Amino acid sequence: MGESVAPIFSSRTSAGEAPAQRRPAARTPSRGEITEIVGRLSSGRTSYLLACLADVVGQGETAALVDADETFDPRSAAQAGIDLRRLLWVRCGSDRGVALRAADMLVRCPGFALVALDLGERVPRLPPTLSFRLKFAVRRTDVALLIVGRRRLTGSSAALALETSREGIEWTGPGPVPTRLARVRTRTRVLRSPGEEPGDSPPLWWTA
Amino acid sequence: MSRYACVLVEYFDAAAVERGEPALRAEPLGVVNVHNLEARLGRRGPSPSTAGSAHIVDRARASRDGAPAAKIAMIVEANAEARAHGVHPGMTEAEARARCPMLVTRPLIEEYVLSARHALLEAALAVSPRIEDGGAGLVYVDTVGLERLIGDPPAIGRRLVHQARAVGLAARVGLAASRTAARVTAARASGPVTVVPEGRERTALAGAPLATLALSPDLAETLARWGVRTLGELAALPRAGLSARLGPAGLRAHDLALGLDHDPFRPWTPPPFWEEAQGLEWEIDSLGVLAGVLETVLERLCARLASASLAADALEVRLGLASGGHHARSVALAYPVVEVKPILTLVVLDLEAHPPGAPVTRVAVSAHPIRTQPGQGGLWQPPAPAPRDLVSVLARLAALVGADNLGSPALVDSHRSDAFTMLAFSPPSEPEPFDRRPPGPSPRPEGGDHRLAVRRVRPARRVEVEAVGERPTRVDARRVLACAGPWRASGEWWDVDAWAREEWDVVLSDGALCRVARDRLTGHWYLDALYD
Repeated sequence: MGESVAPIFSSRTSAGEAPAQRRPAARTPSRGEITEIVGRLSSGRTSYLLACLADVVGQGETAALVDADETFDPRSAAQAGIDLRRLLWVRCGSDRGVALRAADMLVRCPGFALVALDLGERVPRLPPTLSFRLKFAVRRTDVALLIVGRRRLTGSSAALALETSREGIEWTGPGPVPTRLARVRTRTRVLRSPGEEPGDSPPLWWTA
Repeated sequence: MSRYACVLVEYFDAAAVERGEPALRAEPLGVVNVHNLEARLGRRGPSPSTAGSAHIVDRARASRDGAPAAKIAMIVEANAEARAHGVHPGMTEAEARARCPMLVTRPLIEEYVLSARHALLEAALAVSPRIEDGGAGLVYVDTVGLERLIGDPPAIGRRLVHQARAVGLAARVGLAASRTAARVTAARASGPVTVVPEGRERTALAGAPLATLALSPDLAETLARWGVRTLGELAALPRAGLSARLGPAGLRAHDLALGLDHDPFRPWTPPPFWEEAQGLEWEIDSLGVLAGVLETVLERLCARLASASLAADALEVRLGLASGGHHARSVALAYPVVEVKPILTLVVLDLEAHPPGAPVTRVAVSAHPIRTQPGQGGLWQPPAPAPRDLVSVLARLAALVGADNLGSPALVDSHRSDAFTMLAFSPPSEPEPFDRRPPGPSPRPEGGDHRLAVRRVRPARRVEVEAVGERPTRVDARRVLACAGPWRASGEWWDVDAWAREEWDVVLSDGALCRVARDRLTGHWYLDALYD
């Protein structure tokens, strides 16, 4: 319980930041716990999700993605380093109830290292009893449950809650007029973490 | 050293019924078959009916004057308990009940017998690769070479008895230098395993009655007229005299009495599908009740597979319906499975989604057996879902979201940005060596950054775009703050699905970073994806 499911992403701290204030650039979901990543559209939350999946699958483990709105892009996932054969993709046809039930089934199946639930922009209200039910299920099977959405779903049942925000965009092109998106800089803020004060992490760069 | 083993299950029709209902083993059991009374009296030909006691009064075939056809239930087999009470095949059911009031009767169902016969053969096949089907309840096993694998002949015999017991059959085993000697020994033995020492076949067979050889009626009658009652007496007759009086049949009988076989060994090979079936005396119209019957059938089938160290990788369920038709379903198994519960879950979920159109009167399940690789995973191998758990959860998810919405995505070799296909989820069991991993773009671009993901809009949503020149300035009334492009792509121009488009990455006034695309064939703009 509480064991990190994947190595922490490469930490890129600002040069002028004091060592005592340094935080890891990215936090990863822990096994047997619920982790939530919230943020607005284009804030980097999906990139964060794929990076977590890539870390898990890269170690030879098996992961599942419950995709409420069928927005998952296999090409992005392959580019993020995910071995797609180790990823179970469940498409739920925009039905949040079905997505929650599918996630509930998957977290009760021991052996998955990570079960991700992507709720997109429309996050339903979840009764606290169901949140606790999910919490105890992931504890029992030692699965990491990662929930991604516009806002938080499970309240105090989540052991870690992060909020992503976009800080900048870089463009590229051969001439003065950009022809392609180069990379995006995002920042992660810890909203909830046991034994840790809420605060910002150093920025992360995501290359298009 | 014994060369052959004979696995014998006595009173096989009764044993087949007991295999389906193990509680009957302690009861006096009679297996009944229904005969046409007139046919029995010789006024008509034999009745083809094999229906059970529930069909004793044949309602379907009424006689011309409207009265039911006269039927009589005959005992065709009885177990040892019933025989101890004086019940024997050939009696009428009424006569048998008069001798044994506690007698339990069951109809003769050919499928039970056939399934049990195959089960016994497969159990023997788990011990030796060379077996011969000797008939119902009789299997010959070539034991040459098994002593190095299993041990001495008694150990081989015990292994055969154990395998037969694993599929629900109580067998006796005889081991001898010939099949006939092994069979006669097994038939006369009192213990489960009897071994005839090499060269002692004639002595071992000497006391056996002549009937154990199953000679032709004419030959048996002739020998009986001569006063020959046992195999020892037959073996003592001079061969020349037998040849002169009885011809080749007499010589063959003499060889058999000496324990010599001249018939070739005909090896049995298992069929591609192993079937287990159950006929029902009543109609089932509820899935809950049907699940109970399916569980019983699957338990027998899985016991057969497990005894041969096999697993099922494909399953077919065939339900006989009261309407006269059949309801057949193929149930896909993501992994080879031999456990009853996950298979039952899969079958029930499939039947929930595709229920039969009429009440069920017969259940048959057949499995394609394959040999699985036993052994645990490597010490450094990460844990993965157990096959039985995975099969079960995949079936539940398929019932929830549909089988088409479940699986592993696989990229398609195409310039279309959203080209992929769905494959059945089957993660590799071991991590791929680094040089064997599927080719793909590097996950970590130079500088250690991570890849930016997109969220697809499926299907791509049509948007209204205002442009200055070719650069978009407004998307669905949202101002474009910055944009980059165009990025042109086209493909399949040789086919009817030709496409050509130019893509723009745009930042909108609400903060969304999107990819919009203009279809160069129609001029329409679409919201293709959102960077996130």
